[in-house]
Amino acid sequence: MPKCIIDGREVEFTPGQNLIEVAKSAGIEIPLFCYHPGLSVVAQCRMCAVEIEKFPKLQTACSTPAVDGMVVKTQSEKVKQNQKSVMEFLLINHPLDCPICDKSGECDLQDQSYGYGDAYMRTSEERRTYVDLDMGPVIQKNMNRCIHCTRCIRFGDEIAGIREMVAIQRGNNTEITTIDGRPLETDYAGNYSDICPTGSLTLKDFRFKKRAWFLKKTATTCEGCSRGCAMEMQHEANMIYRCIARENQAVNKYWICDEGRFNYHYVQESDRVTEPAMQSSGSLQMSVWKDSVVHARNALQGRKVAILIGSDLTLEEAKLIQQFVPGKFPGAPIFHFGTPGIVSSKDDDAADALLKRKSKTSNLHGMEKLGIAGFSGLPLGIDAVLVFRGGRAELPKLAGVRVVGVGVFKRPDAEKFEAVLPGTAFTEKDGTIVNFMGMEQRLKRAIVPPRECKSVSEILMMWANL
Amino acid sequence: MPESTQMFKPHFHEEARPLAYYQAKMNGYTALKKALGMTPDAIIDEMKKSNMRGRGGAGFPTGVKWGFIPKQSAKPKYLVCNADESEPGTFKDRDIMRYTPHLLIEGMLIGAHAIGSSTGYIYIRGEYTREAKLLNQAIDEAYAAGLLGKNILGTGFNFDLTVHRGAGAYICGEETALLNSLEGKRGEPRVKPPFPAQSGAYAGPTIVNNVETLAAVPMIINNGGEWFAKLGKLEKSGGTRLLSVSGHVKNPGVYEIPAGSMTIREIVYNLCGGVLGDKKLKAVIPGGSSAPVLTADEIDVIYDIEPLMKIGSMMGSAALMVVSEDYCVVKLIKRITKFYEHESCGQCTPCREGCKWMEDILHRIEDGHGREQDLSLLLDIADNINGKTLCALGDAAAGPVTSFVKKFRADFEAHIRGGKCPNA
Repeated sequence: MPKCIIDGREVEFTPGQNLIEVAKSAGIEIPLFCYHPGLSVVAQCRMCAVEIEKFPKLQTACSTPAVDGMVVKTQSEKVKQNQKSVMEFLLINHPLDCPICDKSGECDLQDQSYGYGDAYMRTSEERRTYVDLDMGPVIQKNMNRCIHCTRCIRFGDEIAGIREMVAIQRGNNTEITTIDGRPLETDYAGNYSDICPTGSLTLKDFRFKKRAWFLKKTATTCEGCSRGCAMEMQHEANMIYRCIARENQAVNKYWICDEGRFNYHYVQESDRVTEPAMQSSGSLQMSVWKDSVVHARNALQGRKVAILIGSDLTLEEAKLIQQFVPGKFPGAPIFHFGTPGIVSSKDDDAADALLKRKSKTSNLHGMEKLGIAGFSGLPLGIDAVLVFRGGRAELPKLAGVRVVGVGVFKRPDAEKFEAVLPGTAFTEKDGTIVNFMGMEQRLKRAIVPPRECKSVSEILMMWANL
Repeated sequence: MPESTQMFKPHFHEEARPLAYYQAKMNGYTALKKALGMTPDAIIDEMKKSNMRGRGGAGFPTGVKWGFIPKQSAKPKYLVCNADESEPGTFKDRDIMRYTPHLLIEGMLIGAHAIGSSTGYIYIRGEYTREAKLLNQAIDEAYAAGLLGKNILGTGFNFDLTVHRGAGAYICGEETALLNSLEGKRGEPRVKPPFPAQSGAYAGPTIVNNVETLAAVPMIINNGGEWFAKLGKLEKSGGTRLLSVSGHVKNPGVYEIPAGSMTIREIVYNLCGGVLGDKKLKAVIPGGSSAPVLTADEIDVIYDIEPLMKIGSMMGSAALMVVSEDYCVVKLIKRITKFYEHESCGQCTPCREGCKWMEDILHRIEDGHGREQDLSLLLDIADNINGKTLCALGDAAAGPVTSFVKKFRADFEAHIRGGKCPNA
């Protein structure tokens, strides 16, 4: 492997790698704003300029591929002076409204300013201001904070496949905006906020909800479709505040769709059934575990039962149910369900050019791996159904049969159920899913289940023993 | 000056424009015939021998540049003429396009043959409406005469030439911004490398040459590279130079001198008749407004690329701006900086933010609200821009500020201390 020397250390690299990546592999951080590994290189912010032997001028590390024998300095006086001056330039017009900015605490501009900037400013000029137009439901724009890195423009153009962010005007008046001030159209808009290095593009959904430094972070997997994008749940005091994309080169690179990003909301909605419940005097009534389990068991007693498993359950949960069923419901057929029209993995396909899949649950392929058949209607003679659901799978129409639900249900959906035994959603449990590529991915518990919600194993234990 | 050392100037009149004059009086299109009989390598060799250095401002040897074009390319190659002539003070290319458009067309044909291109563009600044029209008329003439289009002069060589008008941005004179603009994109410089010779217009190998550079090619081919090289009086600089002289001189205009044959003093006082109103000379900006300024004591320098570089300025596009003693240099540099601030594309940080900041400070000094520390601040900002931007526009803005503040510091201090312009 070829080698170059960065800050006196020999570093191996793969030909074609730029100096930022090579330095990173050796644990040397070069500060940057406009560079993003998932986007084209524009070398605009000039923050990553480094000194390279035999080059009279500083060179931007993002646009310079490493060359065998290259000698690079990232800490020289010249480099530090440039970083200081770029920081000064960027802050001439920045409002410095960090105290009320959602990005504060996780802001590249703030961090680099702390790390590489000067403590005092030499400008006394009036700051440049813009009028912001509404950009639709996802993104809140604040152009005054913008440092013109153009990541958003490139994301739309190169990744989302829609050139909706543009630069208008020029020079000092350059404004980054949507074409004609229209609302954003892409359903990947949340990524604009993820990649913005300042508080220019923030999530409306997260606006003023929580200071970033209070958030605890749990790396998990999206349950929104059969791709299973890597994501991070950010939460505090058992409340999820935000979900952002996590890098996984094999699955979703750096991006997630808005549907996946905001999917977690149902977990904390008030209409989720979080207490054991059973039919009583014509409606579903809140109860206690013992009564509900007994009621559920009795409701299925002596009936021809089919078992429906949402393909939003984990492999572990599904396996447990598979082992449980023969003893308690001998001969009962087991089916998985999740997305109308998607019965098997053959029906699952790309739903757009980027990430989305047609199967709107994460574990369709895992269910098949366990040998569970897809649901396409109840077999003849079945008059009762035991449904296990993680929260995402879409319930099939179940008319004329008794239904007992185990898992996550909304109250309106479960109104006619004989009983609901409340379970855990994907944010509340550990487990494994298999995505459409056959890759096993991990769900990690970010928050504890609310109120009376219990895991599938606990519920089955009660079913068997109460 | 003997006629033979002037290639362009004697033909800068209305009658020279038609194809008939060009063919009758200027050996029109004979060089093309000769070039089509030569191999591309032989043409490039001749260009290298000529010591032709690009007339757009950077002064890069043209033959060497042409040599960068790969012989084999999966993508079409392009020859682009940079007729964006927008450096303040520069107006020499205008005369070539206005009076001798066929020189440019023939030069492009030869250049296209040398690099193996069959498509050419003339990117002309939007304000040159008349010149764009004249160029198109000349191109029509050439098509009608079988000098452009398919199978030119029966040799099987094809070349199509299109005039593309810019929309008035100075930055589109920077070659990669020009190519972006040509492609219909925002006129912003690209990251280099790749250089246009590897990946230029529509990602094909592309040569971008100045008007004057290309217009000299027919004469180089007809008379030989050595002849051209000998026209110049310095070792590394061949041919003649078209000068655009403006400002406070008695006879401003376009002049043609053998490269390196005169000092600035000779140009100002002998060629152009001296300073307007016989006033004292205050300064000369020697190479378009982006060139660091020279004081009246510095004008005994030979007017060419190397000598000017040695004293820390540049020849640029060979546009001399003469400033007399009664003009306020603070006002001048403020106006120059305002130009670069206005023309900055806004892509990269130092140029976008720094040019405006410098302009604000200069504005305040000129208004009499300057502070003592402003001068060192100006020098510092200019230093933080210089050499650290994506393209040369940052340098173009920083160089003049640095040189004005250093060389005319007393004038700035007088503004700051007096609270107003001393001449006002």
